[in-house]
Amino acid sequence: MNGEINGSLNMIGYGLAAIGPGIGIGLIFAAYISGVARQPEARGVLQSIAILGFALAEALAIIGIGLAFALN
Amino acid sequence: MSDPVLWLAVQEPSPLAPEPGEIVVGIIAFVLLFLFLKKKVYPVFEKTFAERTAAIEGGIEKAEKAQAEAAEALEKYNAQLAEARGEAGRIRTEAQSQRAEIVEEARTEARTEAQRILEAASAQIASERAQAMAELRRDIGGLAVALASKVVGESLEDEARQRRTVERFLAGLEQADEQAVAPSGAAG
Amino acid sequence: MSTSVLAVEGGEGFVSPGPSTFVYPPIFGEGTFLTKPMLIVILGSALIAVLMFLATRRASVVPSKGQFVGESLYGFVRNSIALDAIGKPGMKYVPYLATVFFFLATMNIAGIVPLVQFPATSRIAFPLILAVISCVIFNAIGIKRHGLGGYFKDMMFPPGIPWPVYILLAPIEFVSTIIIRPLTLTLRLTFNMFAGHLVLVLFILGGEYLIFEYSGVVGIAAGTVAILGSLILTAFEGFVQLLQAYVFTLLSALYIGGALADEH
Repeated sequence: MNGEINGSLNMIGYGLAAIGPGIGIGLIFAAYISGVARQPEARGVLQSIAILGFALAEALAIIGIGLAFALN
Repeated sequence: MSDPVLWLAVQEPSPLAPEPGEIVVGIIAFVLLFLFLKKKVYPVFEKTFAERTAAIEGGIEKAEKAQAEAAEALEKYNAQLAEARGEAGRIRTEAQSQRAEIVEEARTEARTEAQRILEAASAQIASERAQAMAELRRDIGGLAVALASKVVGESLEDEARQRRTVERFLAGLEQADEQAVAPSGAAG
Repeated sequence: MSTSVLAVEGGEGFVSPGPSTFVYPPIFGEGTFLTKPMLIVILGSALIAVLMFLATRRASVVPSKGQFVGESLYGFVRNSIALDAIGKPGMKYVPYLATVFFFLATMNIAGIVPLVQFPATSRIAFPLILAVISCVIFNAIGIKRHGLGGYFKDMMFPPGIPWPVYILLAPIEFVSTIIIRPLTLTLRLTFNMFAGHLVLVLFILGGEYLIFEYSGVVGIAAGTVAILGSLILTAFEGFVQLLQAYVFTLLSALYIGGALADEH
């Protein structure tokens, strides 16, 4: 409240680190949606693959937030 | 908190550091849970799954069996039907041939009967005719002599002569008669 | 609730909750062993055991309500995770995978259960245990199936690559299989729960602060919005918690399946 910007630089790093996984997750679900639109019967197979890809991409962002808190 | 040195000085606990006590509790809890579920719970689930599958498969099997039975019965029925049809056809042709045979037989029989009757009739006619002829021949002699003696007024006492005369006459008569009868006898 | 918040409340303004939110003192005072996360793990495990045991009472072909729920959960892990990711040999690992799923789902969901409201899996120790067990299991399976040399050869030298690449690839593959896999399993789950819980605490404490400390029309309005937002976030958190339990189980199954496969 005193006009200064304060807080941890780690969080800015985390914000930057979340950009990549964010784009990646967007791409994964875009591909999933167009795949299901093209072949609705493949939904079951695509769903588990999409969630798997989501988990792998999201891990980067999540590790980012973990390290942002962990590394002082 | 605006002072970074002060911020660092407040020693935040690292979320990356696992606590030994929690590891011990976690391992014990997880292993016990695993053993309990594996021993008491999962086999029951698997058993009901297997039972359900068996029930469904049993139902399918039963239905299949019934279907096979029905198909078999149909086949049997069809075979019986075809057999009966064949039998009927056979009997019909047999009857047909039998009928022809019977008709033929009857016809032949009738023909032979007719022939026989005809023959008998012609034989009877012939014999009657011969008998009549013989009678006629016998009477005609007497009648002729009586007539002749009346006509000539002379008694022909001599029997032998009388007979010869009659014979001669008759022989001539017979010859003419023979010629007249022959064509009618060939027609019979 | 949070020591750092309490520490500065007398001073200036609102301080957002940090990692200290996740540190609980022993319940029965200093020097005793049991903390809130441990208690959640113990009670949660007991709860799973009791509920599952009740679900199997009077089990029949036509299931009761409880049996149906238990069977559905178990069938989900069995069919959608084990059989899909591993195939027929996966039946052997269904008990482990199902237990992992139930355990994690329960500990995660503890984060949105009223009064409990702490996901035990945000403490890194618990996911670490399961990740290490999974890692040991899939490596043991691979070694048992392909032999020690064969397993590592399959892992580090995948066929169909020009040999100079192996100089780079072999160490990467080794590290990724032995170290990165359990590490990402652990960190993904831990920090999903960590971040989710942190955001929830932030919304609730922040809303509370805005309403009671900042006050005024603006403060109360913003605080109300924050509290309402926390409700929506709670629902979202529930979804993430189940999803993460599923992802952890699915990845474990995939690693086991990969170790069982003939070609990596």
